[in-house]
Amino acid sequence: MGVQNKGLALLKENKIEDDDNVDFDDEVSKSESGSDFESESEEDEDVKLTEPSKNAIYNTDGILDKLGDISWPENVGWIHKLSIDIDQEQQVDVNDDLARELAFYNQALEGTKKAFEKLQSMGLPFLRPADYYAEMLKTDSHMEKVKGRLLAEKRKIEEAEERRKARESKKLAKEIQAQKQKERNKQKKEEIESVKKWRKQRQQSGFASGEKDGEMDFSFEDGKSFERSNKKRPGVAPGDRSGGKTRQGGKGKKPQKKNFRDSKFGFGGKKALKKQNTAETTNDFRDFNKGHASGNKKRKR
Amino acid sequence: MGKKRKHGETVAVASVKKDDGDAAASERPQRTLFGWKDKKNGAQETETKTTTTTTTTTTITAGFRNKEKVLVTCSRRINFRYRHLMLNVVSLLPHCKKDNKVESKESKGATLNELVELKSCSSCLFFECRKHKDLYLWMAKGPNGPSVKFLVNAVHTMEELKLTGNHLKGSRPLLTFSSNFDSNAHWKLLKEMIIQIFGIPKEHRKSKPYHDHVFVFSIVDDHIWFRNYQISVPHNESNKIARGGLDNMTLVEVGPRFCLNPIKIFGGSFGGPTLYENPFYISPNQIRALEKRKKAGKYAKKVKAKTRRKMHELENPLEPDEFADMWKE
Repeated sequence: MGVQNKGLALLKENKIEDDDNVDFDDEVSKSESGSDFESESEEDEDVKLTEPSKNAIYNTDGILDKLGDISWPENVGWIHKLSIDIDQEQQVDVNDDLARELAFYNQALEGTKKAFEKLQSMGLPFLRPADYYAEMLKTDSHMEKVKGRLLAEKRKIEEAEERRKARESKKLAKEIQAQKQKERNKQKKEEIESVKKWRKQRQQSGFASGEKDGEMDFSFEDGKSFERSNKKRPGVAPGDRSGGKTRQGGKGKKPQKKNFRDSKFGFGGKKALKKQNTAETTNDFRDFNKGHASGNKKRKR
Repeated sequence: MGKKRKHGETVAVASVKKDDGDAAASERPQRTLFGWKDKKNGAQETETKTTTTTTTTTTITAGFRNKEKVLVTCSRRINFRYRHLMLNVVSLLPHCKKDNKVESKESKGATLNELVELKSCSSCLFFECRKHKDLYLWMAKGPNGPSVKFLVNAVHTMEELKLTGNHLKGSRPLLTFSSNFDSNAHWKLLKEMIIQIFGIPKEHRKSKPYHDHVFVFSIVDDHIWFRNYQISVPHNESNKIARGGLDNMTLVEVGPRFCLNPIKIFGGSFGGPTLYENPFYISPNQIRALEKRKKAGKYAKKVKAKTRRKMHELENPLEPDEFADMWKE
């Protein structure tokens, strides 16, 4: 607002000198003195006077006269006009695009319903039968374009949805992993606890019943729990000095690129022998040019 | 100054025309545009105030036939966007005749009037583009009916892909008006003109018998907003509508969209006495000039501020500081 006020001040300052060159148009209203300007955020910057100019013409009689001149006879059937008036319930805010469009939509919808009722009561057909084909307003190629755009939009939305889902599932997996870790830690703690308890008990009993400790029935006593499970554990094994590389397939696996290069250029063996001619290769003329086409041009001349 | 003189001239012409109009009005019943010769005193709303003296025997509208024909043209050097808008309007109105571009100069009114008569039309839509950016729409009736000049804003053509509807070419539209069209005399007049120009005559040979689209004319913020919607009702069989199908009727916008800001209403067609003037209207030229001036003021202000500062400093010199060279020695 500040800027506008400044503009207004400027306008007043410069009023005298450019009073003439403002009037480009013949319908410029000349009474702008003491007026404030407000702007709306329409697509086209739409400015209007907030105060009505005083000497604007409003000839009500003349207008009504003209209206009487042009209007159709009063008892013309509605079917000639097809016009319907709809009450606007509340004031619509122009700058709120959504509300405005909604108001228009509602007006159209209500009007259509009323009109259809009237038409129905007159017994006139109003909807196009499904098998009535005729020229449409927009061509098929244009409608194809519209459809393409709609599809593209739909696809875009779907893709976004997929991405979102992936992200969420990733988050979920992380959570599950954390849960598992927690559980595992808990179990470990419990086991350690139980071992401690067992030791305490043994100490309390003063190792007296040394022979009888077979009757203590711990799960790890049957020797199984001390064996390593066959499952490979993640991470580097204690004796491994290759930094865990042996884990990933060990020595036998080469990287793919190396494999490809080996197959292409050969690997191992003597190079020299490969490059020597043998009896077969000396007799093989396939690779030679047939001569005439791209022979030695200098000699030809 | 030249501009002003021209304005005066048009007024003079207008007054002459007005006389013509009055003369024509008195002998009007003989040469009306429509099939009816006699008409009742003033239409719907105007019973009280009409001064039309057309006395009538009330043999009415059994034979009423709407023979409206609209001439649609544009000015030279029109923008592509506005031209497309015009073409869209042409495709919406099967009862219109498109004509060549007309030079937009002072005498365009006479030219257009002649054209309307030549083409035997009863009304005219003239899209006038100025400076490649401002679109004015003239809506004029008949040989001596009123004419309106609008400024057109917020134009969206039918080609835009977000407008997904489609309907039969030449099917008669339903015209819906917001109720505030009946609030003022000039809105009433505009409504009548819109009904006559945008309504497709019944049984027009190029029109189609069904109604599958609806026009919206709504006055919001003293502008007339135009929308065009397709009516789509779910069918279940070939021809029957489902029971309650009308209830889940939906509308899809077809376009075009535009917003009309009435500037003036004239008594004659393309001229004549001014009957109405929009008191809130500022021409886009003025708006641009204002913006320019806002920008132009910047440098001058800066210079002014500088000189003022200088003057101020000269007027109030700083007192010599007694401690200034205390630490020099």
